[in-house]
Amino acid sequence: MAAVAQTTPLSRVLWPTLAWIIALIFFFPIFWLVFTSFKTDADAVKPEHLLFFTPTLENYANMTENYDYWRFAINSVITSTFATGFALVVGVPAAYAMAFDPSRHTKDILVWMLSTKMLPAAAVLYPMTFLTKNMLGLFDTHFLIIVVLCLINLPIVIWMLFTYFKEIPKDIIEAGKMDGVSTWGEIKDILIPLAWGGIASTALLTFIFCWNEAYWTVRLTTIDAATLSKLIEGNRAPEGLFFGRLSAVSTAAVGPIVVLGWFCQKQLVQGLTFGAVK
Amino acid sequence: MANRTLPRLLQAPAVLMLLMWMLVPLGMTLFFSFIRYVLNSLRRPEWTTPSIENWRGLGNYKYVLEAKDFWFAIQNSVFIVVSILIFTVVFGLLIAVLVNRSFPGRGIVRVLLISPFFVMPAVNAVLWINMILDPVLGLNGLAVAGINDLVVGLREFPLIGQFFSMWPELKPMSFRASQTSAYAVIMMVTWQWTPFAVLIFMTSLQSEDESQKEAAMLDGASAWSQFINLTVPHLARPIAIVVMIQSIFHLSLYAEIEIVSRGNGNKNLPYLIGEFTSNNIGAASATGIFAVILANIIAIFLLRMVGKSLMD
Repeated sequence: MAAVAQTTPLSRVLWPTLAWIIALIFFFPIFWLVFTSFKTDADAVKPEHLLFFTPTLENYANMTENYDYWRFAINSVITSTFATGFALVVGVPAAYAMAFDPSRHTKDILVWMLSTKMLPAAAVLYPMTFLTKNMLGLFDTHFLIIVVLCLINLPIVIWMLFTYFKEIPKDIIEAGKMDGVSTWGEIKDILIPLAWGGIASTALLTFIFCWNEAYWTVRLTTIDAATLSKLIEGNRAPEGLFFGRLSAVSTAAVGPIVVLGWFCQKQLVQGLTFGAVK
Repeated sequence: MANRTLPRLLQAPAVLMLLMWMLVPLGMTLFFSFIRYVLNSLRRPEWTTPSIENWRGLGNYKYVLEAKDFWFAIQNSVFIVVSILIFTVVFGLLIAVLVNRSFPGRGIVRVLLISPFFVMPAVNAVLWINMILDPVLGLNGLAVAGINDLVVGLREFPLIGQFFSMWPELKPMSFRASQTSAYAVIMMVTWQWTPFAVLIFMTSLQSEDESQKEAAMLDGASAWSQFINLTVPHLARPIAIVVMIQSIFHLSLYAEIEIVSRGNGNKNLPYLIGEFTSNNIGAASATGIFAVILANIIAIFLLRMVGKSLMD
């Protein structure tokens, strides 16, 4: 299709223009969110100030003063980072064993792991609250959120890593074995350098999922371990008249992760295959 | 036998963690689903503690099956998930093909396109339902009001005024009714997940065999027939993966439903469970078990489909 399209001058202009238009449409809601965050609550709902208004940082000032934004943000960074790291530490050896030493059951184990991700969280919400609050005393701790985020992402992590590791020729790993390299040495010196791109993509995607998780982080926290999802949860209730404030909080919550995504987009474009490319 | 020990040992932490994650809460859910268990009851305070003495057998299941919301919630879950899947795959394919060639600013186009995928689902829902789709304060309302004003203005003109005076006054669509809020959910999730489909398809397109395409072109195949006969079959596997990953995420869709619907009747299965959880834990647990069964039926179906090619 590409080759055909480039033969006529019209399509050389038409298709890129179309691509640009679609990209701008897709980005527009994010732009609008950021744009609205610089309006006062009153201006945000006035049609005459739809495009022209006096920009203000009032919403952001209000957010850091009254809502303690930084505490939520730091909690998000802590829980997402540790959950991602923990998931990789558990996931890399498991995926390594599955890819290079598969048994009859490897496929079933992988399928089962993914199926745990399909269990609706709501089905086990009450038991989880009951357990963590009444029995384990872990409710509203960083530890709990890290463990839960790690667990809900582990199936995806293992599956992604498995598909990357499988692309690595088995001979390379076997050669290491012949030379008497230990398993840890194989992982550290052969596997990780070879699969670095895949591991980085996995880490990035996991971090994004952790940051954006809004079911458990909202329901298993109150103050101490509350993340940015909880901040959004607390601010979304008074709908309608507080668009400016809402936009500022939302922008501050998604801003870091969107910017991280931009910086790493090359990694994602090349790395996010889930084994789709043969 | 000995050489199997090490791989097992390496997998053990992951398997055990997931097993516990699945079995402990699920076991409790299963137990609660067989007993009478409510959070508040003045009449029967003994039901507020989970105990085997409040055994109800299959009573909770019967209660849930007879609740009219239950079947609606299942239908609605399937409607929402399948609609999202269709839209994201179709849009994802078209956009991926569109940006697969080089043109000025492709890098920026790609960045703009994938950005929605990074947005928190709760923010996504809040943003769409309030600032974009609200029939009065959102862009939806403002756009319709703008069109109405324009039409009124045009009526002043001679000749064409006659024509425009026959135009009706438009009313913005409200996305807070039970049916339309399902559309709103489909719209916002499609916006968020189309970039994911684009990402996966784009990577696969880069591995497409160009020589095949050139041969097809020399044979005089149209762009459309190349797309249908070469590109789409090449993307069969990525499409299966996009469908699978998205099903995993959207079957448990919650934040969007909660924010958009707020008790207007647009519910899916997780949301129904959430409603029961506010008091009737027994019923919530029974619904949860049904949801687990539904998820497993779909999981077996989908994962077999993808899993088959996973191992070769």
